Amino acid sequence: MIRCIALVLALVALPLPAAAHKVIFAIFKSGVSIEGELGFSNGDMSSGTSIQVLDTQGAKIGEAVTDSDGFFVFTPTEPIAHVFKADMGAGHVAEATMPADEIAEILGVAAIEETVTATAPASATENAAQVTVASLSNEERLAIAEAVRDEMRPLRRELAAYREKNDLQTILGGIGYIFGLFGLYFYIAARRRMAG
Amino acid sequence: MHIVDGALSNPVVIAGTVLAVGGVAMGLKRLTLERIPATGILSASFFVASLIHVPIGPSSVHLILNGLAGLILGWAAFPALLVGLLLQTVFFGFGGLTVLGVNALNIAGPAVLTWLLFGKLVERSSPTTGAIWAGVGGAFSIAATTGLVAFSLMLTGDAFIPAAKLVFFAHIPVMVIEALLTGTAVYLVRKVRPDLFSAIKGAAL
Repeated sequence: MIRCIALVLALVALPLPAAAHKVIFAIFKSGVSIEGELGFSNGDMSSGTSIQVLDTQGAKIGEAVTDSDGFFVFTPTEPIAHVFKADMGAGHVAEATMPADEIAEILGVAAIEETVTATAPASATENAAQVTVASLSNEERLAIAEAVRDEMRPLRRELAAYREKNDLQTILGGIGYIFGLFGLYFYIAARRRMAG
Repeated sequence: MHIVDGALSNPVVIAGTVLAVGGVAMGLKRLTLERIPATGILSASFFVASLIHVPIGPSSVHLILNGLAGLILGWAAFPALLVGLLLQTVFFGFGGLTVLGVNALNIAGPAVLTWLLFGKLVERSSPTTGAIWAGVGGAFSIAATTGLVAFSLMLTGDAFIPAAKLVFFAHIPVMVIEALLTGTAVYLVRKVRPDLFSAIKGAAL
């Protein structure tokens, strides 16, 4: 009896990660850097995991570490394809690649941002009264992009969670496949027996 | 329990696939007409079992049911579990297609081993004792699976002891639940359909 209780207590107290969940690993462009998320399909995010950033040949470009929400940021410097690799132990590995043209776009944004920060103080002092409304300045474009990204982030998460959901149709479909396959095998075996 | 694509080195994947193909061939050879329906049912149970998440403490674990499949099916557990794994990969994204062989070996291997070790004991003893042996078998097959998973990871470069410990301890709750479940299932079958074991086995051996 005491052993029983001890066992139950031990089980309740076990703060172990479930080792059989699917790994979720997503990377996306975010202004001048690459943002990513790492976690398990049950919603546990992976914190403090080191993410290796490699080029396509496997040479190391850099490294990023996830925060408590499984979130990480990496700022690329070269317009080449980046491969992100994560290893959470016990066979949970994940890999995601961002192609060279997307990295080039990020670096393009970085170039714009640089010119903005370089010219902003000068223009602010010289032409404070002069306001241009004809087109969006680079500064405004960046601000809008930033705002849109912030708005999109929860949506992106929800979408990722939705994609991991297994609904009844999927489950029933799978069971149907299994019964169909074994039915087919049964048919073949029965035919063989009748022939023989 | 499902190792994902890219976690293992090529030699491990190839060796696992070759062994799994052997196991499936062995299973199909033993899979007579009488056993096909039971094999299909257990394959479907295995497929769905991975979706049953049992909340334990702050985390949750999912069932595997390979011990039960092994005890009832013997070698036929290989094709049954392979089909289940394949559909789990396709439908839910568990595991991966390239590592299918290794996963099949890691899950169906212990199922067959459980049958070899405990099958006779379960069949011969009384329903109650048989249920206890089945429970032991159910827990054993999970433990053996964690061992094999850790072994596969070790062959790829992970240190065996930490990896094995991690996987093993994470699955202690599953072992307990599976032991209870396998025991109850076998007890029920013995009470309701005592001929299931002998009928299936008798036709095969």
